[in-house]
Amino acid sequence: MPQFDITSFPSQIFWLFVVFVILYILMSKIALPKVGDVLERRHKTIEDNLGKARALKDETDAAIARYEAALAEAREAAHADIREASEKAAAQQAAETEALAKQLSEKTSAAEKRIADAKTAALGGVSEAAADIAREATAKLIGVKVQSKTAENAVSAVIGE
Amino acid sequence: MAGPLEQFEIKPLAEISAGGFDISFTNSALWMVIAAVLVTAFMTLSMRRGALVPGRWQGAAEVMYEFVANMLKDNVGSAGRKYFPFVFTLFMFVLFGNLLGMIPHGFAFTSHIIVTFAMALVIFIGVTIIGFARHGTHYFRMFFPEGAPIATAIILIPIEIISYFSRPFSLAIRLFANMTVGHIMLKVIGGFVGLIGIFGVLPFAMLTGITVLEFGIAALQAYVYTILTCIYLHDAIHMH
Repeated sequence: MPQFDITSFPSQIFWLFVVFVILYILMSKIALPKVGDVLERRHKTIEDNLGKARALKDETDAAIARYEAALAEAREAAHADIREASEKAAAQQAAETEALAKQLSEKTSAAEKRIADAKTAALGGVSEAAADIAREATAKLIGVKVQSKTAENAVSAVIGE
Repeated sequence: MAGPLEQFEIKPLAEISAGGFDISFTNSALWMVIAAVLVTAFMTLSMRRGALVPGRWQGAAEVMYEFVANMLKDNVGSAGRKYFPFVFTLFMFVLFGNLLGMIPHGFAFTSHIIVTFAMALVIFIGVTIIGFARHGTHYFRMFFPEGAPIATAIILIPIEIISYFSRPFSLAIRLFANMTVGHIMLKVIGGFVGLIGIFGVLPFAMLTGITVLEFGIAALQAYVYTILTCIYLHDAIHMH
């Protein structure tokens, strides 16, 4: 078996040593630091980008919070305006209602007065007529001429005025 | 027809001799150089642009880097960080050595026990030095775990010593045997394909399956070799 031919051992050991040492130097001085650098740079870039993304997200969150606050404030202001307007409208309406009610009640009382006047006038006419009728009746029945004033008083007494 | 062992022969390409030793540049040395060149090309050319979003080659190089880095971190922890270049070189060298052996007319230098053993011995000695440097004489505790009853020392200490010193052998023989057996099997079954005419399709189909298996073994044995190194490093740094 060629593997156990010891005459080839010195050459194999020598070249193994030479090649391995050269390869070790090439790897440790040139190849591996380069790979390590690239991997580290990539890691750092990813970290940086993540950090940047995180900062942007924070900024966005702040902007959203500001927007929410502004929105809430605007909503509040709008509510206040609406309240004020509706209060004003309600007050105006109340005033108008009151004025109308007053006007109506004035008209009502005027009408009532007119009715009462008319009633009084009508009643006055009735007692006058009654007095005339009573005077005529008295004259015809007993032949006494009654003063119109007296008749009127008598009728008034009867109807309780 | 070449014998199944012929593929492992070391053939000198340039005769060199130094201090009485024959250190000729051989086919084994050539494939070591090819592996080192390919590993270096793979790890540097792919990273040339160093793009933030990697392409296919860069992605592959980064996967290898992170694979070994995670293996080291999971098994040794952050203290193993400074041995990363060694562990990475070891993994890539063994992996490419194993895979280059799968190329027809290629040569798997990891199928030679002296290669796997030389690397295992360096790992073993290195790990032992790291252990003593970190823990001083306390590192002898490796051979007698804390909390074991003193009466068990007579059995435990020899067992622990044997298991400790068998590490380089198990490391070396596992890789060497897997590579050698796999290549012999491929060669022997491959030999049947032409010999039995039309029935050669049967060994050919088998050969196809075994080739896939051998690629798996090539990667797996590189992984095993490396992860055992990590485990030995863990023992040296953190004790048991």
